[in-house]
Amino acid sequence: MIKAPFEMEKISDEEYILNMGPQHPSTHGVLRIVLKLDGEVVTGLYPDVGYIHSSVEKMCENKKFEMITPYTDRLDYLSAVNYNWAYVAAVEKLMGIQLPERAEYMRVMLAELNRIMSHLLWYSAFGMDVGALTPIFYAFREREEVIDMVEGMTGGRLTHHAFRIGGFKNDLQKDFLSRLEKFLAKFEDRICEYEALLINNVILTARTKGVGILDKDTAINYGVTGPVLRGSGCAIDLRKNAPYSVYSKFDFRVCTGKNGDTWDRLKVRMDEMRESAKILKQAAAMLPAGEFCAKVPRVIKPAPGEVYTKVESARGEFGVYMVSDGTEKPYRIKFRSPSFSNLSVLKEITIGSKIADVVAIMGSLDLVIPEIDR
Amino acid sequence: MNFQEILEKIKTKHEVLESKEDLGVLNAYIATAKIAAVAAFMKDELKFEQLNFITAVDFPANNAIEVVYHFFSYETADSVVLRIKLDRAKAEVPTISGVFKTADWHEREASEMFGIKFSGHPDLNRLLLPDGIESPLRKDYKNPDMTPLPKA
Repeated sequence: MIKAPFEMEKISDEEYILNMGPQHPSTHGVLRIVLKLDGEVVTGLYPDVGYIHSSVEKMCENKKFEMITPYTDRLDYLSAVNYNWAYVAAVEKLMGIQLPERAEYMRVMLAELNRIMSHLLWYSAFGMDVGALTPIFYAFREREEVIDMVEGMTGGRLTHHAFRIGGFKNDLQKDFLSRLEKFLAKFEDRICEYEALLINNVILTARTKGVGILDKDTAINYGVTGPVLRGSGCAIDLRKNAPYSVYSKFDFRVCTGKNGDTWDRLKVRMDEMRESAKILKQAAAMLPAGEFCAKVPRVIKPAPGEVYTKVESARGEFGVYMVSDGTEKPYRIKFRSPSFSNLSVLKEITIGSKIADVVAIMGSLDLVIPEIDR
Repeated sequence: MNFQEILEKIKTKHEVLESKEDLGVLNAYIATAKIAAVAAFMKDELKFEQLNFITAVDFPANNAIEVVYHFFSYETADSVVLRIKLDRAKAEVPTISGVFKTADWHEREASEMFGIKFSGHPDLNRLLLPDGIESPLRKDYKNPDMTPLPKA
């Protein structure tokens, strides 16, 4: 929390300070951005985070390993499955648990469905940020179907708590694959519809092309990951660069942008949904029969040691750094969240643009505040 | 590169106090004053261009706080961990935010959570915590809200 982000004597007569948030609708949560403005042009910017800091890392130190998984859902309520994954993978790596093949494929399928869910919600919210109210009705039509599928599997619509240490609690629902097939058959066309509706719209392109340009080196230096980094032209995706689980068996493309402006970041997410659909198709075809959970000891007590596991979530690299001292509770857990680093670059790409662009740029970063504050 | 090769490469230019392998990842202990130089070496020479995170782990039994720097190379997909041992009573370490911009926020977070001073940091204000909460992630942190409720 910051009280005086700018020194008063450094503000010229022409400039003034404007608080954006903590209750501004376009910040999607409790985030405050202090703006220094000269007329309509942003000359200074200071993000103020921590309003909903809930001390998850400290809480985890007092919980048993199997009790922590639901906490990871709540870090990022839009892409909960991927966050589960990084955590359970850390415990599994420390304990040396080998997953059955079927569980790995099921995990990939749920994670990709979750990515589609997250991108669809981002698409709707971004539309509303820039003043287009219709896209949300189109995107939610498909999002409901995806949520229904994941709900059937896990019982949750928002914070799914899908994964367990060692695999899953139950097998896929009987009609899961047929529903998935039905969904994928039309989804490709629907993405084209979304693009025609919003992304290629003349007004939106005018508002986003050439705005908030983030170059490659700055992005890497700030630790930016995910679609934001790929929008800047870096073909970096953990699913390809450091493949975890069975991702190396699928054929998919890493989508990148060219200029690193706001529009490129939008386009990358739309393309990524296509690639996710491609992975889902392959995973459904390759899904082996067998067990859905490994043999896990009743008492989870990993050997002493340290591990860092990371997954490509919908927003970028989410990692769990875990120190175990051989007891039933972790000694220390650190969550490396993608939005934390993605937000820190905001100052770099916003200064010099108009105040209305701040909303568009922030929307294109796809921030989720609970994972920044943790 | 395996961890032995990376260790040899670091050793050619910089002193490594102690090293261990943890699940295939190199953990190298560095002298406190050298951290910025080693971080720059990692970034420019060894091409570990991503700093995943900076955090700390408290070990009251050894009277030490260890600062952990986790690096990743996009080219070779290798990870390296640099570590620094600090005295719990006088925890101070030079900043590396001049080398990696992402260190700026991570150091601010580690600073308020563990009471570590990152000397030379441009803006070591509080990031997430409100006033009045000091170093909550240290193991000896006490707060009345954290006492468990009596069993019914």
